[in-house]
Amino acid sequence: MPVACALAPRFRLLTALGDRREAPGVGSRSRRTTAQKRPAALAPEPGAAQLVGEVSPAAERFGVRAGMRLGEALSRCPELALVPPDPERAERAWERALRGLETAIGAEVESERSGEAFFEAGGLRRLWGGIDGVLARTRRAAGMPVRLAAAPSRFCAFAAARHTRARSRPPVIADRDARAFLAPLPVSLLHGRLRPPGPGGSEAGEADDLPNELERLGIETLGRLAGLPRDAIADRFGELGLRALRLARGADEPLRPRSPHQEIAVELELPEAASGQQLERALELLIARLLAHPERRGRAVRAVRLSARLAAGGGWRRRAALRSAANDRERLARLLLPLLALLPGPAAVLRLEAVALGPAGGEQMTLAGPDEQRRRRITEAVRQARAAGGSEAVLRVLEVDRSSRVPERREVLMPFPEDES
Amino acid sequence: MKPGLVNKPWPIPVEVGADGRPIAVGRLAVSAIREEWLVEDGWWTREPLRRRYFELVLEDGSDVVVFRQPSTEAKGWRWFRQRD
Repeated sequence: MPVACALAPRFRLLTALGDRREAPGVGSRSRRTTAQKRPAALAPEPGAAQLVGEVSPAAERFGVRAGMRLGEALSRCPELALVPPDPERAERAWERALRGLETAIGAEVESERSGEAFFEAGGLRRLWGGIDGVLARTRRAAGMPVRLAAAPSRFCAFAAARHTRARSRPPVIADRDARAFLAPLPVSLLHGRLRPPGPGGSEAGEADDLPNELERLGIETLGRLAGLPRDAIADRFGELGLRALRLARGADEPLRPRSPHQEIAVELELPEAASGQQLERALELLIARLLAHPERRGRAVRAVRLSARLAAGGGWRRRAALRSAANDRERLARLLLPLLALLPGPAAVLRLEAVALGPAGGEQMTLAGPDEQRRRRITEAVRQARAAGGSEAVLRVLEVDRSSRVPERREVLMPFPEDES
Repeated sequence: MKPGLVNKPWPIPVEVGADGRPIAVGRLAVSAIREEWLVEDGWWTREPLRRRYFELVLEDGSDVVVFRQPSTEAKGWRWFRQRD
């Protein structure tokens, strides 16, 4: 079954450049011209591995490529402009293209990152007049310039789409030709393809760096990698290496199409760049609005995504899941408020989206469960301590300005509120 | 109730060398100065804050953070100890 790939090259870089009229080292012309003329690359996301993201053609001419270590990229091209990534914005822009593919051609689409979509084209061939018909239809449905290809596996289709021109006839790679097609291509194509499914952890950083390590060992093409013994790869690189080997040999895991979902999201534009307590109040307001969203129809929230457009440019996002689905404002606040501390800078827009929903009605609480009993015991203990030591016997530490350089300004002691005691 | 300060600095006797850096804190000699930094804040106000912090290792192996700041009552510096 051929896998079709629709690829919008440098989509995340161009989206991040979208509203940046004066990015450092970047001019103020149209974003496409800007990205092509000046060496620019997506900066690493806060907290992620220090590797550059998508790069402009001008940066490529300096030998900079996506997935390269930041230090190496800057030494190859000292004038490289690092553009703060805005994954949320890119995802929302790409979502329109994905919906086009789903509704216009009936494809079951997998899209792990913005600017890339894969789907099984085999079942659609009879509907749209062969594989060429499916790809032609895809081009129209995407609603933006995309490179297209079809191949036996996801990775092979991606590689083929990447090496074709936007307006040229999309290549269709046959099963028997896949390994030969991949052989001369660089191992750097594996960048970002080795991550385990789901939100990335430390393993994701390791996966991103594997192509660099292969290059340092002199394994520069997928053909050389494919020719290495499986045992040697497993011994040296473990599971990640074996995955790289499978991809280099033209095999891949089956697609995991996304399930159609309805967007339940609320957004708040902050009048001025906000941080600290002001941001916390904004988040509490968003939680209340999300829970009051009519499309939720009483269903409990299981996972949410908090994102922000930063005042200095770029974006930030974090996904958080509740242990059990809930429609309780306090539980959501307890889950999300600590995430605000991870924001890399003041926010201009804050957005909260329910990405997974539970059953209607939410959690069925038992009468005086273990948590409630514990709370009652704490309440009683606090009352007793106050009775013995006065009203200030039980206080709590409230964070005021955790980044202050003056230690005594970071926290203050406040009375423990009655309703929590 | 007024909010109380956490990690409030407390005054401490410090003996300094010719270069103005601490050589003893209380009765304990300074074995090493691990770090030194300057904090300046509120310079636009009537009460600007100017502190020079030192992270010290004392002869008993303890690690302490002290700072000096200009004294408003006495001429010269006053020393304080603080957890960072």
